[in-house]
Amino acid sequence: MKRRNGIKKYIPKPSRREFFTILLLAIEIVVFSFVSTNFLSFKNFETVLRNSTDLAVVSIGMTMVMILGGIDISVGSALGVVAIIVGWMLQAEINPFLIGLVAVIMGTVIGILNGLLITKARIPAIIATLGTSNILRAMIFGMLGGSWLTGLPRVFGLFTKGQIIGIPIPVFLLTIFYVLFWLFLTFFPSGRHIYAVGNSAEATKLSGVNADRTKVLAFALLGSLVGFSSLIYVGRLASVEITVGIDLPISAIAASVIGGTSVKGGKGSVIGTLAGVLFIAIMKNGIVLLGIPSLWEKAVVGFLIIVSVIIDLLVSARAEKRQRDQLSKQRLLSMENKILERN
Amino acid sequence: MRKTIIRLLSNRVIFLILLFIIVAVVMSSLSPFFFDWNNMITMTRFGAALALVGLGQSLVILGGGAGIDLSVGSIISMSGVLFGFLVNLGMNVWVAVFLAILIGGILGMVNGLTVAVWGLPPLIGTLGTMYMYGALSLVMTKGVPLSSFPEEFSFISNGKILGLPTQIVLIVIPAFLILAFMLKKTKFGRWVYLIGVNDEAAQISGIQVKRVRFVLYTISGLLAGMAAIIMSSWFMASRPDVGNGMDMRSITVAVLGGIDIFGGIGNIGGTMLAVAIVTMIASGLQLANINTIWQLAALGIILLGAVALNQLFVKDQSSL
Repeated sequence: MKRRNGIKKYIPKPSRREFFTILLLAIEIVVFSFVSTNFLSFKNFETVLRNSTDLAVVSIGMTMVMILGGIDISVGSALGVVAIIVGWMLQAEINPFLIGLVAVIMGTVIGILNGLLITKARIPAIIATLGTSNILRAMIFGMLGGSWLTGLPRVFGLFTKGQIIGIPIPVFLLTIFYVLFWLFLTFFPSGRHIYAVGNSAEATKLSGVNADRTKVLAFALLGSLVGFSSLIYVGRLASVEITVGIDLPISAIAASVIGGTSVKGGKGSVIGTLAGVLFIAIMKNGIVLLGIPSLWEKAVVGFLIIVSVIIDLLVSARAEKRQRDQLSKQRLLSMENKILERN
Repeated sequence: MRKTIIRLLSNRVIFLILLFIIVAVVMSSLSPFFFDWNNMITMTRFGAALALVGLGQSLVILGGGAGIDLSVGSIISMSGVLFGFLVNLGMNVWVAVFLAILIGGILGMVNGLTVAVWGLPPLIGTLGTMYMYGALSLVMTKGVPLSSFPEEFSFISNGKILGLPTQIVLIVIPAFLILAFMLKKTKFGRWVYLIGVNDEAAQISGIQVKRVRFVLYTISGLLAGMAAIIMSSWFMASRPDVGNGMDMRSITVAVLGGIDIFGGIGNIGGTMLAVAIVTMIASGLQLANINTIWQLAALGIILLGAVALNQLFVKDQSSL
């Protein structure tokens, strides 16, 4: 019991930054429900949720990797490759559980590959994943051969369309995933190591944690989440087109950043990311409902990214200043004490 | 022996020239038309825009501080679209060209402001502007290309001077020479390398780090504006999506050309060689009637290989 209390202060509580994103989300919902009559309906929320389930799942992994101080821009292409194979297996009418297993394993393998490129070949994450992204994208083109995979059986449709006692399945799905990974990142040693490596890989190594293994683990987990998302994707659209997942990496990064994950690593949480995903999804939905051309969507998202990071910077600058003030006050005090002692 | 091989290969320029020769041999064995003078000339046209944004990207990365400019593609699209509007409003083409390049510079300045001055992480700051510029160019045109440019404008991308493509002689080579001179011979150029290696030390020794980086993002924007002109002249239309994919490609050529992603190491001659290699692969595959998609894969593999090799050599050299 005592030990647990000792650990407690290292367990991060949801910080002000996350509440800020949640507050933004709440404001957004209130504003949209005033300006659009169609916004505040169960049906609309279900649509929003359904269309962003795969993004929400991938964003968990992206947050992890970004906490680590890395980034992965190959998630979109990876999702595409796995989705095509899932499509093929669906056409061959293979057992859905087996398909799911294969998809997750394939995603994990791609993730591990990225992780190895980053740790063993020591390629910076952005370059390594840019390279794999190119290769995987070419594979998508090669595998599809210029035509789309369409009319796939909707075996995995229940991930997004189904309901249990009137509550849409995405709610359950996302709750399970986010709680699971929140627990992992907050209470499990390997999860804590991810934060530690993000803060200082050098210090982590010196204190006996295998930083490389932590990195590979994070990328592997991201890969497995991407693999699972491909099932959701295929279930939702019943087709795989050539541009599959082209916006996914950037959307996932945006969601993480808006949710308070620091690009420099070491900071962030999946709670904030969930708020970020919903914030972006509802913003897109609201734009459509207000009758603004959907071309504006990206401009708004881009603007939001910049604003949220500027807020981040301002907040952290203030916190730093407070810390510095405190420190100087302490020093002043101790100096005064010394002078008093001498006298 | 091993040491000499390593030293030779770790010299980026020699490595790239070797790679260049290998690619040339492979491509000419794939297609008999490859080593044709006319083909060579047309090929350089393909690489012109990429060379310009690649140079800009190289400068931004050289400046360090995790510098990267993801918005170059969108700057191409946006200043191209604005150029189209200016011409359609009845402005003289050459004045419009000048203004479009200036617009590119202003769009780059926005990056400089958010990233260099306000201190946003470059990846995020330029990601945001990439979204904004890309979307704005789509919104402004409603997705429809602007055309009806005067005939003489096609001279830039389809004309020839002394048998060589105009855009290479008039834009790419001068831009490269000016930038190379700037990096090698001027104080500013030395500052770029210094802040790339250690911005704190540079700041302490009196270099205005923020100001230098601001200028680098602006130059990247100006170069993207020039690329926009080349692309507009090439298609004789301003397409709002013309810059798509340029961001990733420019990073690829910069890194393949030996610019260290952490800044401070590399030279832009390497970038030009990398552009030549990338362009050769693209058009060679096209000539050989192999689906151009595979150039993506080839690029990815070459990129990964080049950086991995680079890291290996860096390690080896430090242990020597």
